[in-house]
Amino acid sequence: MLLFRGNDWLKSLSSEEKQKVTDQWMAWFRRLTDEGKAIAGNPLEREGKIVSGKNRVVSDGPFAESKEAIGGYFLLDVASFDDAVAIAQQCPGLPYGVKVEVRPVAAECPVASELKHEAQLANA
Amino acid sequence: MLLYRTDEWYNKLSQEELQKLINQNKAWFEKLTAQGKAVPGRALERKGVTVSGENGRFVTDGPFAESKEAVGGYLVLDVETIEEAIAIAQSSPGLAYGGSIEVRPVAEECPLDIRARELAREEQLVTI
Repeated sequence: MLLFRGNDWLKSLSSEEKQKVTDQWMAWFRRLTDEGKAIAGNPLEREGKIVSGKNRVVSDGPFAESKEAIGGYFLLDVASFDDAVAIAQQCPGLPYGVKVEVRPVAAECPVASELKHEAQLANA
Repeated sequence: MLLYRTDEWYNKLSQEELQKLINQNKAWFEKLTAQGKAVPGRALERKGVTVSGENGRFVTDGPFAESKEAVGGYLVLDVETIEEAIAIAQSSPGLAYGGSIEVRPVAEECPLDIRARELAREEQLVTI
């Protein structure tokens, strides 16, 4: 999975540059979809809410102007992690400061695999 | 979309607590999918890399698994309002133990497109 980080880089661009990056980004996603390498992807609205704690408190966030905020994602279907990194390196937003986080999708929930591992240790 | 922010809080739980939570999570997710409110979401491996710079020339390790801000998994919901998405996030069994859930509307249209259109309109006004 690719997570696109950074929401503040757009501000410095002219409208022509923005249009150019948008077109490049759309063409990139279409190409990956046609090649069967991208199976889902969405931009996210810039603002949302955070739910946390035992009392399930709802607060504002993430802040739109954050370098770390996630602006969108692609779910890829590739044979190796290196393939995913190579695709991330094609991201049209990179020259403008976008960071792309590349994360393997887990075959099973890490909490469940941790538990299995503990059980194995206990039985050993 | 729900983004699970995690700092491996589950390492503090006993085996019984963990098993209970896993069962609760499974039931919670099965209920949401049966109601047509969630499409299959996935957990993410705890390690990854971050690509940045022109032509992606910087490839660095991270995010760090222990970070409170690291994303541990995601769930795409199919609901009418953000309020409903927040209510679903609040019913997540894991929240009692730690971590937080970011609730983000999926954009109808790419924010880049919207901003480009706004700018084009502003420039048009200036020209007039």
